[in-house]
Amino acid sequence: MSEARRTRVGAYAAWQLRDYAKDRGLPTLIVSMLTGYLGLGPMLQEMPSRTARVSPTLLARFGSADAVYAARMAEFNQVFLHGVLGTLVFVGALFAMNGIVSNDRKQGYYRFLFAKPVTPSRYYGQAFVVHWAGFVGVMVLLALGYGAVIWPVLSRPLLVAIASMFVAYSGIAFLLSAAARWDWLSLVAVSVVATLLWARFGESAHPLARLLYLLPPLHRADEVYAWAAAPAHAADAALALPWPILLWLTGYGAACFLAGLVVLRYRRLAIV
Amino acid sequence: MIAFDHVGKRYRAIVGRDVRALEDFTLELHAGEVFGLAGPNGAGKTTLIALLLGFLGPSEGSVRIAGLEPRRYAEAHGIGYLSELVSIPPMWRTEEALRRYAQLAGVPAGRVRSRVSEVIEWMGLGEHRRKRVKQLSKGNLQRLGLAQSLLCEERVVVLDEPTHGLDPVWTQRFRDVVTALRREDRVILIASHNLDELSRLADRVGIIDRGRLQRVVDVRTGAERTVGEATSYRVTIARGAELVALVFPAARPMGRGEFALEGLTLDAVNAGLAELLARGALVRAVYPAHTMLEQQFREVVAARGAE
Repeated sequence: MSEARRTRVGAYAAWQLRDYAKDRGLPTLIVSMLTGYLGLGPMLQEMPSRTARVSPTLLARFGSADAVYAARMAEFNQVFLHGVLGTLVFVGALFAMNGIVSNDRKQGYYRFLFAKPVTPSRYYGQAFVVHWAGFVGVMVLLALGYGAVIWPVLSRPLLVAIASMFVAYSGIAFLLSAAARWDWLSLVAVSVVATLLWARFGESAHPLARLLYLLPPLHRADEVYAWAAAPAHAADAALALPWPILLWLTGYGAACFLAGLVVLRYRRLAIV
Repeated sequence: MIAFDHVGKRYRAIVGRDVRALEDFTLELHAGEVFGLAGPNGAGKTTLIALLLGFLGPSEGSVRIAGLEPRRYAEAHGIGYLSELVSIPPMWRTEEALRRYAQLAGVPAGRVRSRVSEVIEWMGLGEHRRKRVKQLSKGNLQRLGLAQSLLCEERVVVLDEPTHGLDPVWTQRFRDVVTALRREDRVILIASHNLDELSRLADRVGIIDRGRLQRVVDVRTGAERTVGEATSYRVTIARGAELVALVFPAARPMGRGEFALEGLTLDAVNAGLAELLARGALVRAVYPAHTMLEQQFREVVAARGAE
C-alpha cells in the first residue's frame, strides 16, 4: 500500500477566499452600503453642517467650533453604528455561511471534492476561517470608506465586536449548515426564537428557565454593539467592555463551530 | 484490495416502510483487475459506489479498501472517481476546475499546471479550457468529469456510467483510457448499463439486481465456455437469401437480408454457413444476437420477471 498522499487543502484557501469575495463578499458589501445609505440619509439631513453657527454655550464647553463639530460627529457615529452594526454582522454572517456545507451536499459537489484525499471537517473548517477573514476585510473596507466620506470610525473595539459577533452568528450557522439542509432559514429561526424566549423568560425563576442557557444569548448582543459604537473618548462606566457577554456570545458560536466540525467528521455526506 | 462483506444498506423512511437498497452483498475486487458492475435501474449500483467512497455507511456488514474503512482510505490516499451525475459548480472554468481538483488531489504545486494541461489534452478539452462549466455540452462535461478523476495516479478508480453522453468517437477513446489505466496495483470499477462496453473492458462483471449480487461473470473465460452452448445468432446475406431457409429451416427473416438463427451451437452455425457458401450464397456478416454478458443479464432479469 502506498503512503498517504499530502493533500494541499491549505493552499486551496486562496480559491476559497476568491469564492468568498465573488459570491458572498461583494453582495455583503453592496447590501451593507445600501443599509448604511438608507440609515445615514435622514440622519445626515438633520445634522448641522460644519459651517453652521455654534451656540456660545457649546463653544464655551468644547473650546472651538471644530471641537463642537467633532463631538457632534462622535455622537452621530455612535447612534449610527449602534443602530446598524447588528444588522450588518447578522446579514454578513448569513451571507457568508449560507449553504457553506449544505450547498455542496445538495448540489452534489461533494462527490468530486471528497473523493480526493480531503477531510470534510478540514475543508469546511478552513472555509469558515477564510469567510471570517473575508467578512472582517469587507467590514474594514466599509469602515475606511465611511471614514473617507463621513468621519473615521475604524477602531479596535469596532473590529473586536465585528470579528467576535461574526463568530457568534456564523458558528451557529455553520453547525446548522453541517447538520441541516435549510441552514439560512434555520439561522433566522434560531435567532428569532432565542431572542424572543430570552426576552420573555430570561428573568423567570422557574427551573425550566435554565434551559434558556442552551440557546444563544443573542438578546444581549446589543450590549456589545453599544460598546463598539461608543466614541473612543467615552468614559461612561456603562459602556465598559462587556467581557462576560462578549465571551458568552463568542464562546457559544465557537462551540457551535466545533460541534459542526464533529458533525462533519462523523456524518455521511450523501443526501438520500 | 476492496472487500464487501455481507453489506446491507437500508434507507429509513419517516413514513412507510424502509427501503432496502443492498442486501447481503459480498464481493472482493483484486488489484490489477477491471471489474464491471451491471444492473437495471434501481438495482443498487449507485448505493454500492456511495458506500465504496464512504459517502454512505452500511447498515450491515463492512466495506474495506486495503483494510481501511472507505472514508479513511479516501482521505488518506484519494480515489479516482467519476460520478454518474457530473456536478461541478457551473461558474468554474474548465481549466480552473481541474487546477482546483489537482490541488486538492495533492498534485505537487510545481506540477499542477503541466498535469492539468496533460489531462486537458488527453480528454480533448483544449478548445474548452476557458469555458465555464455551464457552457459545456453534456459530452464535454462528461469528459471534464473523467479528466478530474485522472489527475492523480490513484490505486482505486471508480467510474460510474463513464460513457454516458459521450459520442461514438469518445466512447471508443474511453476504451483506450481504461486500457492505459490498467496497472497491476490498481483496481478499476466501472458501473454501466452498457453491457457491450463492459464485456470489452472488464475482466469480471457483477450483475446486481434488487440490491443483491446475482452473479459474477468472468468475461474472459466465459467467452470460451459459450462455444458449446446453444445460443442465438444473426446472419446477413448479400446474395442468395432464398438459400437460408433451405440450410436453416428455423431461420426468421428480419429484413434487409438479415436472419435470426435461434438455439444453435457455434458448430451448427459454422456447418450451415459452409453449406450456404457451397451453394453460392455470399455472407456479409455473422454475429451472436447477444453477447455472453447480455445473455447472463437477460437470464437474471428474466428470473426476476418469473418470480
